[in-house]
Amino acid sequence: MNIDYSKELPIVQGRLSLGELEDLIAKPMSEKPTPKYYIALAITLTLLMIGATSLGFTFYYGTGLWGNNQPVGWAFDIVNFVFWVGIGHAGTLISAILFLLRQKWRTAIARFAEAMTIFAVMCAGIFPAIHTGRPWLDGWLLPYPNQHGLWVNFTSPLLWDVFAVSTYFTVSAVFWYIGLIPDFAVMRDRTTGKVKKFIYSLFSLGWRHSHRNWQHYEKSYVILAGFATPLVLSVHTIVSFDFAVSIIPGWHTTIFPPYFVAGAIFSGFAMVVTVLVFVRKVFDLENIITIDHLEKMNKVILATGMMVGYAYAMEFFIAWYSGVQFETFVFINRAFGPYAWAYWIMVSCNVIFPQFFWFKKLRRSIPVMMVIVIFVNVGMWFERFVITVTSLHRDFLPSSWGYYVPTIYDFGILIGSFGLFFTLVLLFVKAMPVVAISEIKAVADGAQPTHHGGDH
Amino acid sequence: MDELNKDPKEMNKDLLWRSVEEYKSGGKLDDVHYNEFMPGVKEEFDPQKMGSGISRRKFLALLSASAAFTAAGCSDYRDKGELMPYNKKPEEMTIGEANYYASTCSSCAHSCGILIKTREGRPIKVDGNPDHPVSAGKICAKGHASIMDLYDPQRFTEPQVSKEGIYDPISWKDVDNKVILALSTLGASEAAFISNKVSSPTAMKLMKELQEKFSGIKYYYYDLFSDVNRATAWRECYGEDSIPAVINWDQADVIVALEANLYGTDGNSVEQQRLITSRRSVTDTKKFNRIYAAEANFSSTGANADYRLRIKPTQYHDFVMTLINEVSKRGKGKGLVPKEIAGVLSGFSVETFAKKAGFAPKSVKALNSLVGDLLSTNGKTLVYAGETVPVEVHVLVNLLNEMTGGSSLYSDSVSNVELHKYSTAAEITDLISKMKSGKVKLLVNLDANPVYHLPKDSGFVAALKSVPLVVSLATLQNETTFASNFVLPLNHNFENWGDASVRSNVTSTMQPVIAPLYNTRQKEAILLQWLSGNAEGYKETAYLDYLKASWKESNEVTGSFDKFWSGIIHDGLKLETSNKTEDYKFTLEKVALKNPLNEAKFSVILAQSYALGDGKHANNGWLQELPHPISKVTWDNYAAISDKTSREIGVKTNSLVEVEVSGKKVTLPVLIQPGLADNTVVVELGYGRTKSPVVALEVGKDVSLFMKSLTDRVFTNATVTPVDGKYILASTQDHHSYDETLVKDVKDAHLKRHIIQEGTVKQYEKNPEFLGKKHNLISLYDEHKYPDNKWGMTIDLNKCTGCGNCSVACSIENNIPVVGKDQVIIGREMQWMRIDRYYAGTPEEPVASYQPMMCQHCDNAPCENVCPVVATTHSIDGLNQMVYNRCVGTRYCSNNCPYKVRRFNFYDFRDHFAKGYYYEQPVNLGHNPEVSVRPRGVMEKCTFCVHRIEEERSKAVATGRKLKGSDVKTACQEACPADAISFGDLVEKDSEFKKFHDHNLAYHVLEELNVKPNISYIARLWNTNTEEV
Repeated sequence: MNIDYSKELPIVQGRLSLGELEDLIAKPMSEKPTPKYYIALAITLTLLMIGATSLGFTFYYGTGLWGNNQPVGWAFDIVNFVFWVGIGHAGTLISAILFLLRQKWRTAIARFAEAMTIFAVMCAGIFPAIHTGRPWLDGWLLPYPNQHGLWVNFTSPLLWDVFAVSTYFTVSAVFWYIGLIPDFAVMRDRTTGKVKKFIYSLFSLGWRHSHRNWQHYEKSYVILAGFATPLVLSVHTIVSFDFAVSIIPGWHTTIFPPYFVAGAIFSGFAMVVTVLVFVRKVFDLENIITIDHLEKMNKVILATGMMVGYAYAMEFFIAWYSGVQFETFVFINRAFGPYAWAYWIMVSCNVIFPQFFWFKKLRRSIPVMMVIVIFVNVGMWFERFVITVTSLHRDFLPSSWGYYVPTIYDFGILIGSFGLFFTLVLLFVKAMPVVAISEIKAVADGAQPTHHGGDH
Repeated sequence: MDELNKDPKEMNKDLLWRSVEEYKSGGKLDDVHYNEFMPGVKEEFDPQKMGSGISRRKFLALLSASAAFTAAGCSDYRDKGELMPYNKKPEEMTIGEANYYASTCSSCAHSCGILIKTREGRPIKVDGNPDHPVSAGKICAKGHASIMDLYDPQRFTEPQVSKEGIYDPISWKDVDNKVILALSTLGASEAAFISNKVSSPTAMKLMKELQEKFSGIKYYYYDLFSDVNRATAWRECYGEDSIPAVINWDQADVIVALEANLYGTDGNSVEQQRLITSRRSVTDTKKFNRIYAAEANFSSTGANADYRLRIKPTQYHDFVMTLINEVSKRGKGKGLVPKEIAGVLSGFSVETFAKKAGFAPKSVKALNSLVGDLLSTNGKTLVYAGETVPVEVHVLVNLLNEMTGGSSLYSDSVSNVELHKYSTAAEITDLISKMKSGKVKLLVNLDANPVYHLPKDSGFVAALKSVPLVVSLATLQNETTFASNFVLPLNHNFENWGDASVRSNVTSTMQPVIAPLYNTRQKEAILLQWLSGNAEGYKETAYLDYLKASWKESNEVTGSFDKFWSGIIHDGLKLETSNKTEDYKFTLEKVALKNPLNEAKFSVILAQSYALGDGKHANNGWLQELPHPISKVTWDNYAAISDKTSREIGVKTNSLVEVEVSGKKVTLPVLIQPGLADNTVVVELGYGRTKSPVVALEVGKDVSLFMKSLTDRVFTNATVTPVDGKYILASTQDHHSYDETLVKDVKDAHLKRHIIQEGTVKQYEKNPEFLGKKHNLISLYDEHKYPDNKWGMTIDLNKCTGCGNCSVACSIENNIPVVGKDQVIIGREMQWMRIDRYYAGTPEEPVASYQPMMCQHCDNAPCENVCPVVATTHSIDGLNQMVYNRCVGTRYCSNNCPYKVRRFNFYDFRDHFAKGYYYEQPVNLGHNPEVSVRPRGVMEKCTFCVHRIEEERSKAVATGRKLKGSDVKTACQEACPADAISFGDLVEKDSEFKKFHDHNLAYHVLEELNVKPNISYIARLWNTNTEEV
């Protein structure tokens, strides 16, 4: 192998000038939406409406419209929640942890991944709120002083969830917004429309690209990155506590926190790749979001996928090694019981298919990675389904065993959450720069002073 | 100011002044300058000095009061009609306290004594009358649920003209006039009165008087389940006038149930459960009785039997003959065997029978053990055949009991009372032909349902069209009211006066506990009106007067009759003392020597439904939703077939089969029932109502069309063919134990997990601690402190028969909604108390175990710590409480409950079920006011009847004593006919209850989780000959 490790691979390809970079990234915002855009928006809004309608019926008639029952008290509601929270892990990981680790390649994808994080957490946030029997009383999950002297139960993982997810959302949103300020200023400077200018001016908070601005910006960005980093790990750890703290075999497992975090990164990266492949094509960003970047993400997918696979194996090992018959039964039942189909979908999508990424050629092939990341998305949804539903449907007393079958309302709400996610993504790509303009300029070839004058 | 106008010369000349004002003020302005603030500012605040004289506080008070008044004045005041407070308290009633009235149940012909609990004049609960010698304080599920019939929203509220199901109101007078006219102009024609069994002596007397007045009246009595076979056989054996004896079940050491469901549908199950299980108390294992069940169906008696023999209906005869042979071979009762039998007996031995029946070695052993017991128990063995068993076999059973001396268990002091004989099949056929020929001018249906019950071939429905006047007395619409001209609405039992006599030692009485809700009358009052020959002048007390007069006549009372009467009504019964001793003289001489049921490919048994009776209770959602004790299916009947047969004909549970019996076909869903005899189909009657209110409508299939006469219950000429399609049965427990192949652990999981712990009497006697030592698990956390009480429960699995009475009683006590079939299918039944049924062994010879399961009120309850809003908490007396108001409905508690006993209101089930059927008036009147009705989205579960605990606590506080465990009885405990449930205080160290709770055989389910449940189960002991189960 003849690789020159003394030089970094160029992050931006095609020898674009800084001006060209800016033009390229700002283009979607300066042009009027095409009919294709409206068609895409119409589709996502339709999905959103399907979800809204299903939800409306659920509010009117009750959660009975779903398939949830005794003993499966949680099903699609919580599966979707964990799924979306998981999706929401890639963004902050890319923007915060990779930032702190000085992984420059993150720049091209960080903005987009962060936006996805926020949208995914928004989708996720819906589910804990609507899964309750009396959603109009959800406010009782917040510890606010009241004259009834009622307080929340801090021993309940559901309450930890409330804090974990809301904190994560807030910090991610602030982090994202801080990163956007210089770009808003760029857009403010570029745009000619009065309304647009007003809006961009408002959001750019009087940014003047001064040194002082940059100094504050860099400081706050690194501090927020420091803030966000533990959250990446904590959110899914706490989400996993919803299960791990219980006494139900299949849930009551100490491996859950790392296993959930790895799974979340796995699914988050898969979702980012899924969407980026389209975005870079549609907006001609192939030179900025390069195949190198995608390959790097695929490597992360491969790594986390194997962590997840290891966790699956460990669960079985511990189930056998512990000698606890309930535990052993749950895992055998997962693999061979009535929900075996779900289990094997999960295993094949999450463990087997990502193995193709061992091959560089496949890692760099857009069609191959498209198929694999979609499998990973499906597989990770099923992972949550397997954990939630198969553990509940057969627990301790055989007399109370049951079977869960989702209804059209369950599917409707799931579809609606995708509708919401993609609607937000579509609105985002037309309203904000999908790549951080100022940051990408900083990592473009020739932007940094070098000792040997770079490639030029 | 006056001072300023004074003459300056008068002022003090020494004054130094700075201005004219100062000069004029005489120096007083100095004070103003001296003081920093304006006058008044520095003074103590005193509202009285203020202009208005109103303080800030008062101002705010007035402001808020006026705002409140304005708000109240402007709000939309809902005039709720006339609200009438008790301004003078009725003497017998205290608001908030229940009154109990003794009466008699009329859900079936057994007429158990009941106590009706009323609150503010509304009946809300029924329980057994503890003074009643037969039912002894217990009633069955039908009795418990009968309260909901009172409040059924679709009861007839006034007399109706009926025309093919269209009912129009009419007045009582008009119908009465028509009937009286018809009765008085009968001439040579007949007025047929059709009734089910009458157990009221006074009603019988009245009916006779009516017949005397109108001689054309002829009464026909029938019942779908009448136990006629037993009665017929009895007469053959013990003489024409004798009726089957009362059996002293508690004295039997060995009971052999031949297709007899003693714990369910044969005889008075409440009494039988109590007496039989009284001999299965672990405190005295020497007294344990032994139960054998020989049956084709799998009944709850079979499930509880120490030995169960699976035989086909065609083998009933051979089975009894085998026993007769084995007994007589050893010289017991040999002389009694008629010679026709004696000649052929040798052909029936255990070996030949076992071979013919294809018995496994286990069953052969059981049969040998049975023969041994028949010979060794000194006449304390009773063989009892069920109501579906043919007369010929009943005769042989009677013979066998005489031979073994089992007849000594027939009570010699108490006998059954029979006020009338049932009409024979010939009489019914005769009636129908008379109807056809127009000889019947009037047909009165006295609260029966002959159109639904009488054999469909009999032509009764067609013949009904030839009767000019058909009048039905009914509470709910049914198939017969549909075909009648007029419907007279009847009172519910709780609105009636009456009496009943089914045993010679007691006559029970019936008193109304609520004024008739509607314009209805009781059956006897209607007859009285007709007897008077005048439709005018109906008096509500008419039958009461008649009843009293009749009692006065038949009872010699010393002293005031009214006093005597009040006492009787108060007690709900009169104990009869009689010195007469019953003597059953076995006079059988001739016996038909033939197996009445010929060997055939498929047999069909039409069994009695546990819950619905003859279909009369089908409109009661609580009964429809009571899981079948064996199959756990609700809301349907089905063709139960054995596992082997199902594989032979290629069907599974929920497939459809067509069952054909002599040309009649019914398509039924299949249920694979472990333990059923092969090539036998068991279907329950009472389903498939076609004309009824909405709850019962089209639930299940009516299989009575196979019957040629009312005694036709077993058919051996059936064919069963699979048909296309699927029909989902709503079972509360899945049938996964046998059909699962990949997950091996499923089989016998309840035993492997120590959920059910069992042993044998012999094992226990050898080593009382065979279950193992009790574990003392440690916890990281401090344990709860229980300073005063700690509630606990002990359930004796030796006594639980799985009948489900507790479950119904609990549903009614705690206002638990009916969810309907669609919700049971997806696993959302709401019963707080369920009876778990587990199978072990093979599908051919399963061992069934029952376990009542409800909230275990754990000390370390896993539900409590996961609720984010603290809606489920731990009380100081050890209860795991549920705060409905606070519940948001995350369902986390239910997920985390290892027993899965929590129930979630996925819907507003009252609204969801049958388009809000149970939201209609007056269902709400039946709710227990002490228990809140839960809204949608809220979790609920067993509360240990916390309202009863609190009621007793307040009584204890009021009288200044300490609340004791024995003060409180839960609804399930009260309902259990076998007294399997005991409840009490675990803090009282030396109480009986505490000792029983910690019995050697007591165990906790899932003890290893260290959730510390407060319900302990007493391990079941099988009374087998050997130490193995």
